[in-house]
Amino acid sequence: MNKEHVSDRHYDKHYILSTKNACLVGVSLLILTAITVLVAGINLGRLNFIIAFLIATIKGTLVALFFMNLKHDRKENAVIFLTSFVFLAIFIVLTVSDLFFRGDVYVKGQLGFAQAELTSGAIKQPWISTPELITKGKAAFSIQCVACHGAEGKGNGPASLALKPPPRNFTSQENWKLGRKPSQVFKTIRDGIPDSAMSSFSTLPADDRWALVHYVLSLGPKPTEDTNEDLAKIGIDPSKQTAGSDQTPSITIDFAMQRMIEEAENKR
Amino acid sequence: MAETQVLAKQKQQHHHAHHFMSAEAEFEASKQGMWVFLVTEVLMFGGLFTAYAVFRGLYPDMFYEAHKFLNVKLGCLNTVILITSSLTMVLAVSASQRGEKNKTAWFLACTLILAAGFLTVKYIEYSAKFHHGLLPAGFFHNETIKHVKAPLFFSLYFIMTGLHGLHVLIGMGLILWIFTRALKGQFSSGYYTPVELVGFYWHFVDLVWIYLFPLLYLVG
Repeated sequence: MNKEHVSDRHYDKHYILSTKNACLVGVSLLILTAITVLVAGINLGRLNFIIAFLIATIKGTLVALFFMNLKHDRKENAVIFLTSFVFLAIFIVLTVSDLFFRGDVYVKGQLGFAQAELTSGAIKQPWISTPELITKGKAAFSIQCVACHGAEGKGNGPASLALKPPPRNFTSQENWKLGRKPSQVFKTIRDGIPDSAMSSFSTLPADDRWALVHYVLSLGPKPTEDTNEDLAKIGIDPSKQTAGSDQTPSITIDFAMQRMIEEAENKR
Repeated sequence: MAETQVLAKQKQQHHHAHHFMSAEAEFEASKQGMWVFLVTEVLMFGGLFTAYAVFRGLYPDMFYEAHKFLNVKLGCLNTVILITSSLTMVLAVSASQRGEKNKTAWFLACTLILAAGFLTVKYIEYSAKFHHGLLPAGFFHNETIKHVKAPLFFSLYFIMTGLHGLHVLIGMGLILWIFTRALKGQFSSGYYTPVELVGFYWHFVDLVWIYLFPLLYLVG
């Protein structure tokens, strides 16, 4: 007969993992599992996650190299398999860096500050409702609030299902926990409501917050008007023409998002 | 003399498809196909791992609070079960490569029993979660977790472990299939492609769990 095909010789040499080596790898995997669980019990801060991830990767490598026989397999198969992890890494790194650092681009660039200056303190007596403020508030509402409060402000946005207590229904005058005067609603938007999903929006420009106040109040019955004392309570002197810069600097939405993330991290 | 005849007979037992040059070429092509399939599996689970990274980055405190409601002991038990099943699987593959038919069937049966054990533990865990209202998104109704975003953790928990559990179930079906074929004596040292490739699939299921366990049960 003719020549033997080259790979047939390789075939006879097909690597077989010995029982002893298989058991050694198995026991190593179990020991590494025990280490992961023990280390998780000690508080090392961020290091905990890094250690757990490293051990998982060592375990994964053992499984791939010995149980899946990648060590003695053809190199191209290793390249194929490892390439998927390269692409997975690109996927995760780009997504996460976009999520956490997009705000930097906006705030560090000129655009961020220019925008903030334009939208803060430009409106005279923003605590008095005007059709312009309501229109402005509607625009801000459709970005900041719809997810929970819903497009019609009935407290039935897509995210509301998961929230306890449920988001406020602005079309009714019932249940406004912190009051329904414009100054009280402004305070709620500025400070948030503890133990609820309503977080502080103090990073929005003050004028935007007043616009939101007038828009959400326009959805229900006319509210009681503020007295000068009410305004004084939230630190506003009605004799002055503008709300000024409030007590917080005005920044972009992206930066506001980043601030919220940082706050959440600090609470930990 | 008699021994070489038996060996020759074993090699003849499996006729490779006509478009392959040899049984070896067929085996290598099948194996490479399996690796390519596993690549798609990595990317499918990868989407979920990315979602996990995003939400854990956004709500680290919530992940810490919610993970305490998972049972670490049961999770750990399942890790041990799955690693041991991977070991019995690799022993089954080695046995079939050596042509030890009884051993192959025996180790495959062990793997199958361990896999069933894994799903039983998972069932116990899931029942407890259902009982306490620790469910995904809108189904969530638990009063003890304060964080409003907690339903998100359980959405991820159920989708990630659910997809993994589905893989375990499919893996069990595949192991049962090669187990019955092994009992019929269809594998030999000359032909064991299905045993080795089902082994790959099973080790991959183990690999996914190796990451799922610390990410879900041991949030530091």
